[in-house]
Amino acid sequence: MKSFFLLIPFALLSFFNKQSSQKITAPQTTGTLKITFVNTVKGKPLELNTVKYTNPFGEEYSISKFKYYISQVSLLRGKAVFFEPENFHLIDESNADALHFSFALGAGNYSSLNFLLGVDSLHNVSGAQTGALDPLNDMFWTWNSGYVMAKIEGHSPQAKVVNNKFEFHIGGFMGENNVLKNITLSFPDGKSLNIQEGKTSEIIIEADIDKCWQQPNDIKIAEHPVCSAPGPLAKKIADNYSKMFTVKDILN
Amino acid sequence: MAITKAILVRRFLAPLWSSCKGTSVALGVRLRIIILLCVCTSLAALFIGAADNAAINFADGKLPDYIEFKIPPGWPKPAKDIFAKNKLSEQGFQLGKKLFYDTRLSKDGSNIACANCHQQFAAFATYDHDFSHGQNDQHTTRNAPALFNLAWMTNYHWDGGINHIEVQPLSPLTSPTEMAETLENVLAKLKKDSSYPTMFKAAFGTDEINSQRMLKALAQFTGSIVSANSKYDKVLRGEAKFTYSEENGYAVFKANCAACHKEPLFTDNSLRNNGLPINEYLKDYGRMKITGKPEDSLKFKVPSLRNVAVSFPYMHDGRFYSLGAVIEHYRNGISPQPTLDSLLTKKIDISNAQKSELIYFLNTLTDTSMTKNPRFAK
Repeated sequence: MKSFFLLIPFALLSFFNKQSSQKITAPQTTGTLKITFVNTVKGKPLELNTVKYTNPFGEEYSISKFKYYISQVSLLRGKAVFFEPENFHLIDESNADALHFSFALGAGNYSSLNFLLGVDSLHNVSGAQTGALDPLNDMFWTWNSGYVMAKIEGHSPQAKVVNNKFEFHIGGFMGENNVLKNITLSFPDGKSLNIQEGKTSEIIIEADIDKCWQQPNDIKIAEHPVCSAPGPLAKKIADNYSKMFTVKDILN
Repeated sequence: MAITKAILVRRFLAPLWSSCKGTSVALGVRLRIIILLCVCTSLAALFIGAADNAAINFADGKLPDYIEFKIPPGWPKPAKDIFAKNKLSEQGFQLGKKLFYDTRLSKDGSNIACANCHQQFAAFATYDHDFSHGQNDQHTTRNAPALFNLAWMTNYHWDGGINHIEVQPLSPLTSPTEMAETLENVLAKLKKDSSYPTMFKAAFGTDEINSQRMLKALAQFTGSIVSANSKYDKVLRGEAKFTYSEENGYAVFKANCAACHKEPLFTDNSLRNNGLPINEYLKDYGRMKITGKPEDSLKFKVPSLRNVAVSFPYMHDGRFYSLGAVIEHYRNGISPQPTLDSLLTKKIDISNAQKSELIYFLNTLTDTSMTKNPRFAK
């Protein structure tokens, strides 16, 4: 009798521990999924500052900053969806360590990938955050609370502003100004993600800046050198860049 | 977490457990069951709490002295609980106060603390200044708002652009016309200080200094500033009596002002266009800057009238230096604009005598137990 009661706290404790660990790894056997982002312009790896590119409207430009938030990553296995535990990743072209992330995933075959481009509305209204969401990362508007979901900055002779610098700071999480993009990527023909116990598989995602200028909205640097607030322009640019991602390769 | 558990068992449970031995067998078993249940509940709370807030990590088991945030009797509950994920403690409050009065939060050489523009004797507004002085003696573009009862506010700044008390300091801290500093530099300066690491540890469990903890500590201090003990409050509680003029002024207030300056907070937290002609130099369109919507043009936050006698000048640009001038605006100065608030389309029709009585009443809203409280002083 006595020993039975003694067991209660430990049973409860293990229950809570189990709960939290279940969130991280649903099935018993797990491997690791690494997701790597390769930022490109027209398929060629992006070179910050040094290389001049031309957009579909013949405007010449270079890129000095390219950052975006990836969150709510999930994968489809059969008909079941498996999420990465709540986490935010700031992909930053200027930092080689900020171009990939990894998490544990149950063993099995997965057929597609889904993520949110941006930071969900709750985390835009919940006060001071840390980690990838730390305002130190210069992705938080101090005068109009909310995260910049993506930043594209560069120079172009067509940008008739100080230093010919164009900057797209894309944010907005509320109502009609919402720029959050839920993005589903299918895998290349004949490829599937096979997570095996104790091993690391990798998905390589290409983000092509060339897609930001067109489809569905024409964005000319000469007309819109600056976007620094939520609103219709930010939404148009977000519509375009939501189509810049493709899965390039899967390494099992 | 493992260490916390060990300490819990060693310090509290073992002695409690053995103390049950002296009692009768049946009572001893029952007592032990009760202890076990209590332990389970508190451990569960620890786990849930830990998941809730990564900023807090009391690895060595020394918890800060938590404080209950008291809601004055008869007041509404705050719209959102600003201390729900930032548990108010004495150590957090003291750290926030030190930060609030620390000039190192501004660019080196400018010597500006939060308290420079938010002076306690002026209900934490800038006394006698339409605009405050920032780095290099630049002026801000809006009048510094008074700081009290922030827990009841749904957003901050004259345009309501700030959606949470914790992220507000980022704005003055980095604004080139205010404190003009970077977050990186501020944190580096705090880390070099001899007392901050200890204070962060006392408030948040480890000596790690990061932006989240700094902002949460500041929110513990500013969010704790409550003004609910003016003569008006004492009258409502039956501890004081209005004079004849104050009583009449209260009636004038209720008939003409209370719709926007709603009791007991003396604001309804809304943003409205109160008919001020546009300031041609600033061209400040208020809320429209945040939403981009023409219907929000010239809308500004309705400020609380508590402590209004000590927080002059008034309006978002500090254009009025006296309460008389403000009342005069509502009597005769309203500028007809497309977004003018519907409550102001008819001018406020009060006599000169009523105007003076209203000012007598507004003076009863000064709360010296807040403006002179040593707990909020440097």
